[in-house]
Amino acid sequence: MTQLALLLASEGNGYWLPHDIGEVFGGSAAFFIVVGIIWWKAGPAIKGAMAKRTDGIQQDLDQAAETRQGAEAERDQIKSALADREREVARIHADAEATAAKVEADLIAKGESEAKAIRHRGGGDVEIARRQARADIQAELARLSLGAAEAVVGESLDDAAQADLIDQYIAQLGARS
Amino acid sequence: MSDTRTENYAEALLGLARAEGAEAVVADELYRVAREIDNNVELSTTLSDLALPADRRTKVVTDVLGGKVAPATLAALAAVVAAGRADELGAIAQQLAERTAGDAGQALTTIRTAVALNPDQQQRLAAALEAAAGRPIAPKFLVDPDVVGGVHAEIGDQVIDGTVRSRLAQLRELF
Repeated sequence: MTQLALLLASEGNGYWLPHDIGEVFGGSAAFFIVVGIIWWKAGPAIKGAMAKRTDGIQQDLDQAAETRQGAEAERDQIKSALADREREVARIHADAEATAAKVEADLIAKGESEAKAIRHRGGGDVEIARRQARADIQAELARLSLGAAEAVVGESLDDAAQADLIDQYIAQLGARS
Repeated sequence: MSDTRTENYAEALLGLARAEGAEAVVADELYRVAREIDNNVELSTTLSDLALPADRRTKVVTDVLGGKVAPATLAALAAVVAAGRADELGAIAQQLAERTAGDAGQALTTIRTAVALNPDQQQRLAAALEAAAGRPIAPKFLVDPDVVGGVHAEIGDQVIDGTVRSRLAQLRELF
């Protein structure tokens, strides 16, 4: 367009303007009239559209800001949740370690206690067995001794000894009565 | 064993002995013979064997004891064996001895010694036991080697134990 205007201007009509000044004025007036009519008739609609668009943009901005805030809040919640989760993990880990340490200590104590009891019981069993063996030996010795004594007594009781025993019995009866 | 049956047998034998005027002899001899039979397993088994005819069992009694005991005692023993009550002879003889002693106002007294006593020892021992019991006794002297030595006397329910066996038993309990 600019090149076309320069071409027309370069052709020359005797004026420094490409057209008659009257046309310039008339064209300008017509132009401003058209512009005025447009401004008068379409201005409100344009302004309304612009305002509407501005409002839409503002709403979009507000919505974006709101979305951003929501996202940031959600992010903060997630961060908080993550922090809580980390703290929970740390707490569970600490609890697990404490429980493991306690279980280990309990198991060690229980094992030592059982080992002590076994040693004690073993010692008791040995002592019981020793006493039983001693009692058995004493009983066997007593049985053998009494058996020997009975044999000796039986052989030594001749008629005279039997008569003496009977006399002793009679004497004891006399003492009782 | 039925106590009533034992008492009835003892009562019957007592009647038999009375009829012969030999209660004391029958009671004493039957008491001794019953202990002898109890101590002789072969004889006891034979007399208690109901598979043998009654006359065979009574013949054994006659063969073993004929001439050694009074005829009334032999008759009483044969009656018990023939009736198939040889295994109850000890209880019957005990009952008969107790009845006879009771009728005479005496307490039946069983005296066990390891060796047989001479008449003097028997007389002194009976006198001492009678004095200890405080009542008349009917002594029954038995030889029991298990006594080992000394005397074991049972006066009714009263026991006076002065045997070597009991002293050894006491000694055994001390260990």
